[in-house]
Amino acid sequence: MSRLGNRLARTVMLSLCALISGVLPIGPAQAAIEGITGSTFTLTAKAGYISTGDGQSLLAYGYANGGGEMQYPGPTLIVNQGDTIRITLTNQLPAIAPDAAPNVSIVFPGQEDVSANPVGNQALTAQGNLTLEAMPNGSVRYEFVASQPGTYLYHSGTDTALQVEMGLTGALIVRPNGNPLGRAYGHNDSQFDREYLFFQTAMDLNIHRLVELGARSMVDFSTYRPTLWFFNGRNAPDDMSDDNVAWLPTQPYGSMAMMHPGEKVLLRLVGGGRNFTPFHHHGNNTWLIAKDGRLLQSGPNSGPDLAVSNFTITIAAGETYDATFEWTGKGLGFDIYGHAPGDPMAPNEDAADHGKPLPTELPDFLSVTIGGFYSGSPFIGGVEALPPGQGGLNPNGAVVFMWHSHTERELTNDDIFPGGAMSMMMIEHPDVPLP
Amino acid sequence: MTFARRYLLTLLMAAGLGLSGMNAEAAVNVQCPGGPNVVCKHLGAADGWVKMADGRELYMFSFRDVTSVPDSEVVDTTLQNVQFSAPKLEFKEGDKVYLTLTNAGLVNRPDLFDPHSVHFHGFPNAASIYDGLPESAIVPMPGSSYTYFYNLVEPGTFLYHCHVEASEHMQMGMLGNLYVHPKQDGTPMGGFTKFAYNDGDGSTGFDKEYPLQLASMDGDFHDASRDVQPLPFANMLDTYSMLNGRGYPDTANPDGANFPPPPSRADQNTSSQPLSSLITAQQGQTVLLRISNLSTTTYYSLSAMGLPMKVVGTGAHILRGPGGQNLYYDTNSVTLGGGESADVLIDTTGVPAGTYYLYTTNLNYLSNHNEDFGGMMTEIVIN
Repeated sequence: MSRLGNRLARTVMLSLCALISGVLPIGPAQAAIEGITGSTFTLTAKAGYISTGDGQSLLAYGYANGGGEMQYPGPTLIVNQGDTIRITLTNQLPAIAPDAAPNVSIVFPGQEDVSANPVGNQALTAQGNLTLEAMPNGSVRYEFVASQPGTYLYHSGTDTALQVEMGLTGALIVRPNGNPLGRAYGHNDSQFDREYLFFQTAMDLNIHRLVELGARSMVDFSTYRPTLWFFNGRNAPDDMSDDNVAWLPTQPYGSMAMMHPGEKVLLRLVGGGRNFTPFHHHGNNTWLIAKDGRLLQSGPNSGPDLAVSNFTITIAAGETYDATFEWTGKGLGFDIYGHAPGDPMAPNEDAADHGKPLPTELPDFLSVTIGGFYSGSPFIGGVEALPPGQGGLNPNGAVVFMWHSHTERELTNDDIFPGGAMSMMMIEHPDVPLP
Repeated sequence: MTFARRYLLTLLMAAGLGLSGMNAEAAVNVQCPGGPNVVCKHLGAADGWVKMADGRELYMFSFRDVTSVPDSEVVDTTLQNVQFSAPKLEFKEGDKVYLTLTNAGLVNRPDLFDPHSVHFHGFPNAASIYDGLPESAIVPMPGSSYTYFYNLVEPGTFLYHCHVEASEHMQMGMLGNLYVHPKQDGTPMGGFTKFAYNDGDGSTGFDKEYPLQLASMDGDFHDASRDVQPLPFANMLDTYSMLNGRGYPDTANPDGANFPPPPSRADQNTSSQPLSSLITAQQGQTVLLRISNLSTTTYYSLSAMGLPMKVVGTGAHILRGPGGQNLYYDTNSVTLGGGESADVLIDTTGVPAGTYYLYTTNLNYLSNHNEDFGGMMTEIVIN
């Protein structure tokens, strides 16, 4: 296809996308992380069913926002540094005969001086090992000052091994003073253009089946062996659907990342499960700038000067990391835009490679298997004809990289490949509008 | 059917066969244009056999180096003759690499039509078309070739593996060492002329280097693949933990190409596991270990008892902050998950001569399946 044809195709595809974006299985991601903001929250612990990538339904517990649906993971709480955060939790977890309805609570690792007080009938609360718990139909209010910016998690402090496995966990993001939307921390070097959450969890479905049968006492953690792995509460390929899609009512958060060349993307990585996850991001190294809500810095205002560059980030249970990702295609040795030498430069394009042709000849379509995210063109923004039924997941010709657990066993959904802890980063041509 | 129609059908079939035979793309096709700094490599991908340190033979998928093998012999050279770990790929910063992959098919599994790919793991500022990710590009079918292009602007310890049906093909063995020497090589600095990175001060200098790729296999998974059975992804449990494709004591066997082939290939006299992990050095030399993990199931910690380790790089990047702040550290162990790499220096100055052991401190993996001595361990001999 000619260069003009290429542009035309892009324009047509863009218009088409705008028309049908409501029904595309893979819609645009959000520029900011989806969640609930403010300083006062009302959460309800409930039971419900989640869908796994291989089509099963699994009983789960989750924190609902107010009287809404139980959700997995719980609502991402997005708050501002220095605010006093008040979270009222009400227990509506059911009895599943013969098991009685359990108590429930929330703990906030990384937050200091968290207080917990009964709300309403004090007789419906009880002091647990870690914190004050809400008994069935009881309520507890947790209160703390969000003193330090960063990425954190929260989870149940009651029967923790079981209840976190069942889904009572979520992310907490504290935005820094002064520049709450564009920086992860106080320092300018934590600036970002877009941010994405990767909340990593796993499930052993046998535990969920036993709880569903009212057989909590038969759950044996010594034989714990997960066969389902999640980003933001979804398995691949569901995790590449947009936030809040109607067909996943209890799993509102997607994890597909998108950016333009030259932008800086902040990855907020959370180890919500109990195993190590080697999070491998194709495309480029990241700078790991913070761990557990603290900038990797040598002094109070030095910025992340102790950041480490890597292509795989190990996330341990309960750990959080913040990492920055950038991509321009610099140094590829060919023009990733497919420009002719006289064409104008794209923003953030590497001048040294401008106009250089693709160094190899690509095989014809009879000789290859074509990926769903292949646009028919090796160039960013390029869209070319494909055989019927091929491609289709990359209508704007993005450069697409897989971001996934590199423990490859975890790219499955209960014995079915592909699936699991796997998503995509789509780097779109600068002409393609992103939310 | 009339004679005329039968004749026409035969003619059409012959024409069809002739056309498919004339399809130039569905054949071995090496692209190597020549020019300054151009380096061409050719890998064949197929199935084959590998011998565990307890003598058990496992079915595997992997690669073989067929650089300079005539096109007409590439498939025969590759089939049944692939290697674990896959052939080591070693380049220099500034190289323009044309890496051709020819998919020779799976001769023991004619029911499969799997494509293969090469994923240059960690390539900076990558392009999808050369990333080897089947979801975002195109990957060669059996009988076809695909040429990847890598303009190498960053040195470091990378990795490569097939990314097609990654949980399966990587467990089956399509994993290899890949590293890039820095431009600083050859410039005397700090008493060295070879370096892990462009450090500017010789602090990543070394005398000898060894790639050490951590990997592991689940014999039941491989037997299921051989026997055309459903593959046990959920039950995947690796009981062979290896360095460069061998378990101890085979790791310390110095043989390369002479390392014995697996039992069913004994008459072929071609080694499936040519990469020894025996490390030797003269006292006073500095050794660089280019360690990477491509296990599909397991984190491993490695220790070199009695020898000091200094980590100078991770993720194919010198271990320095964004502003150049030095973050090297001394340690007795390094821990790596799948897809991680580290550059570790061992300075043998003042180390008494003798044999030392580099081993996983996950002691249960010092085993070859039911043999509880072996696994992920090798020897470091200081003379």
